[in-house]
Amino acid sequence: MSAGEVWVVREEQREVTRLCVQAGGLLLQHGAESALVESVMRRLGLALGMDAVEVALMANGISLTTILGGLCHTTVRRNQDRGINMHVVTEVQRTMLLAEDKQLDAAGVAQRLAEIKPYRYPRWLVSLMVGLSCAAFARLGLLAQGEEADLATFALTFVASAVAMHARQWLAHFHFNPLVNFAATAFVATSIAAQGVIYGWVDSPNIAMSACVLLFVPGFPFINAVSDMVKGYINTGISRGVMAVLLLLACCAGIVLAMTVWNTWTWL
Amino acid sequence: MNNPWLTLLQDFGLAAVPAVGFAMIFNVPKEALKYCAVLGAIGHSLRFALFKMGSLPIELATLIAAAVVSLIGIYWAQKWRAHPKVFTVAAVIPMIPGVYTFTALLAMVEIERKGYSEALLQTALDNGLKALVIIAALAVGLALPGLLFYRRRPVV
Repeated sequence: MSAGEVWVVREEQREVTRLCVQAGGLLLQHGAESALVESVMRRLGLALGMDAVEVALMANGISLTTILGGLCHTTVRRNQDRGINMHVVTEVQRTMLLAEDKQLDAAGVAQRLAEIKPYRYPRWLVSLMVGLSCAAFARLGLLAQGEEADLATFALTFVASAVAMHARQWLAHFHFNPLVNFAATAFVATSIAAQGVIYGWVDSPNIAMSACVLLFVPGFPFINAVSDMVKGYINTGISRGVMAVLLLLACCAGIVLAMTVWNTWTWL
Repeated sequence: MNNPWLTLLQDFGLAAVPAVGFAMIFNVPKEALKYCAVLGAIGHSLRFALFKMGSLPIELATLIAAAVVSLIGIYWAQKWRAHPKVFTVAAVIPMIPGVYTFTALLAMVEIERKGYSEALLQTALDNGLKALVIIAALAVGLALPGLLFYRRRPVV
């Protein structure tokens, strides 16, 4: 470069940088693992004509640089957790695959990304299915111990976890901190199950009390945490793992409070 | 419940329910819910068979079951054009050691409330380590096909 000559990053490259970081942001916000976030951002950038795309993922942000003809363009975005949504992850990945197949150009990618509306199942349906899930967990627990089915344990677990799941979705709607939400709803679940223990409705109170809080186990963050760390993203892995443990501790606070209030110590 | 095959069949059917229930919490697209159900059932019942009938340690049984779920998941994911984690994570949720995890943490809360006792510490460590290793087995099992066969190329 001679003196006085100025190189400016062209608008096309800026646009690709924005699209890549937007795609990565959507993935990170909706619970994709780090390896997937990085590979989708890189492949999208390359598909849209960049020479290289470099990504650094942080616990709560993304920084990304696109390189074209020796010129670099870098941007940083803060990441805000929006809750796990695999529908969004699928849509972003398909947009990237279409761009790789040359069926979408930058404008097409921009339009498709803008049109992604996070799909959510109806609240009553989720509560119903989660209630059934925890009831199935109760039956699986009995099965593993080689015991007979007990309809009352089943029904109590279903009611406790379905109500708790509904409360959890309702509180999430008001944007409460997830830790507060989990503590409050774990209290609700344990309180309902404790009634069955107090009035002796069920034959296996331990199973009902433990199965009805299984909807709070943050399985997805835990699996993401381990797979991030296995694949070399120690930083994001640790932060996801710590968040999952905190959520569990919040639940424990709710459970202990409920067991103290109703004076039913079935866990230990 | 003396017939082991009947027990296995029950396990197969029951495990599909939490797989779908949790898939809904994760907002897995409707078309993929059937994959979650089938993989959840296969994974949990395979672990049950290996653990109860094959008398393998539960950690190893979990690892094998998660790897099988991941392999079938990759095959379907390539057909369906989406990342396999979209439905394989929901499918292994029935295998998550939730009761171990809560028991360990509640034992620690009890140590804080009542003071140290050998029995409580033992409960906390036994359950906590079990939960940790099983969760690690699940995550590594899911990642295994990628680590062994798709080393430098993307799955989808």
